[in-house]
Amino acid sequence: MESKPESGIAGALLPRNLGVRVGMLIAATILVAGGFLLYVLFARGVFEQTQRVILIADNAEGVRVGMDLTFSGFPIGTVRRITLRDDGKVRISVRVPVTEAKWLRQSSVFVLDVPLVGSAKLRAYSSNLKDPPLEHRAERTVLRGDANAEIPRMIATLRQVLENVDQITDTGSSLQESLKSARAVTERMAGKYGVLGGVLGGDDNARKVIASIDRANALLASLNGVALKMDTVLSKADQRVLGPGGVVDETQKAVAQANAILGEVRASLKRVDGILADAQAVAGNAKAATTDLAALRAEVEASLRKVASLIDEINRKWPFERDTKLKLP
Amino acid sequence: MAFAGEYIFRARSWRRILRFAGFATVALLSPSTYRPATRELAVRQIYYTAWQVLPGYLLFSSVLTLVIIEIVFSAAREYGLARYSLELVLRVLVLELIPLLTALFVALRSGAAIGAEIALMCVGGEMEDREEAGASPLHDELVPRIAGAALSVASLTTLSCALAVSLTYLVMYGFSEWGLPEFTRVVAGVFDEAVLAGFALKCLLFGLAVALIPVATGLEAERGNPRSVPSAVLGGLVKLFSVIVVIEILSLMVKYV
Repeated sequence: MESKPESGIAGALLPRNLGVRVGMLIAATILVAGGFLLYVLFARGVFEQTQRVILIADNAEGVRVGMDLTFSGFPIGTVRRITLRDDGKVRISVRVPVTEAKWLRQSSVFVLDVPLVGSAKLRAYSSNLKDPPLEHRAERTVLRGDANAEIPRMIATLRQVLENVDQITDTGSSLQESLKSARAVTERMAGKYGVLGGVLGGDDNARKVIASIDRANALLASLNGVALKMDTVLSKADQRVLGPGGVVDETQKAVAQANAILGEVRASLKRVDGILADAQAVAGNAKAATTDLAALRAEVEASLRKVASLIDEINRKWPFERDTKLKLP
Repeated sequence: MAFAGEYIFRARSWRRILRFAGFATVALLSPSTYRPATRELAVRQIYYTAWQVLPGYLLFSSVLTLVIIEIVFSAAREYGLARYSLELVLRVLVLELIPLLTALFVALRSGAAIGAEIALMCVGGEMEDREEAGASPLHDELVPRIAGAALSVASLTTLSCALAVSLTYLVMYGFSEWGLPEFTRVVAGVFDEAVLAGFALKCLLFGLAVALIPVATGLEAERGNPRSVPSAVLGGLVKLFSVIVVIEILSLMVKYV
């Protein structure tokens, strides 16, 4: 029954305080293991008072138990449970230590951010820290910022854009044709007649236009000479019509003469009136009357001839008056 | 592998190991096993297996920890994933690599020695003589060694893991206390209840495998036939390695698959 004494060298090499050393080792092991266990329990918040926040999301993709809820980049809570509700929404239960719950207010917003690389992040934003604190087991909706979900939509749009670009750059496309035309136009523009050749579609046309312009220039030069001559003519006409001894001047003189003649006619007629009155008064003295009448007739005839010649004169000098009739009283 | 397969695929041997494991586990759990003489044997086993190698092993695990931390941190920094490197180090180093290396280390250093010792006792007929004399060599000789070896594995694993955790903190944050909240948060994320339970179970299984399998295969040595000793010892080591690998793979599968 007794343990066989350790044979030979091995037994002699054993230290005397073997039990103490092994006891120390075992004690250290137990202490370290127990200490680590306590540390892990402390780290997992077993000794901490916590409160719960229930987050409702449409999609639990990227969310996992143990993930942090961060505020300003600092973890303030841990996801403890994820369940699918009867209405198809996801219920994420987050445990927040009471010491950290001060960061969550009733106006707080919760965002689930799913980046392209790396794990999803659950973030809380509190714009006003003076709002009333979030109560225990409060339910809040999570806004989702999902880069992955955006990608298919973006790819669809991108594909459409690329197809359009493909169509635009395809052989025979409108753009290609336009570019060809533009090249033809610019080639023509680079030719002898420059932009004019490009616009008119060829050098021949441009040459014709330039020739026309030259001709127009020549025409303008001759017109300039004509205008100068016209100017001279007009100044002469002006002198003839309006100048001293001109048409207007002569007409004024003639009108003055006519006025004088008419005055004479009026005096003669007054005298005729008197003579006729006398003739009526002395109707009996025919002989004397006849003698006077003969003289009177001669005077009247002379006056009438003067009037006729005056009117002729006026008509000759004043060609605008068409009514040549003279009404006698 | 044909050489190793000769030892691994021997169903009769596995059955014997399993039967022995059953007996030994019962004996390990029964308080009557632990008498002063057996306690002394267990203490001696722990002294040889754990105490003597402790400084060397802690040095080895420190160097390994520093190298792995450096590799992981620099690679993670290069890919812009530095914030995940701490979690990665804790998961890879503390939960997987150090327990596995400790089990392999103890298997190499002490498993072979225990197996050879038991095999020699069998060849010398010591075991049979004792059984015939009415004693129980299982309780007197084998269980103390198994308990000692298993405790040694647990002790070395615990201490080197604690050292690795401390070194990780020091490399990451230096001697500053300000990294503690973040470190605590990552530790809380990595070591949840299931992971801790799995870790403890894995360490226990490693310890039992390292202690039980060499002893069980050592018993296969034949009385009066010294040539059977190398075969028994080698067979024990091959089986031990295969069992350690299977435990590790199973633990990884349960955790990540």
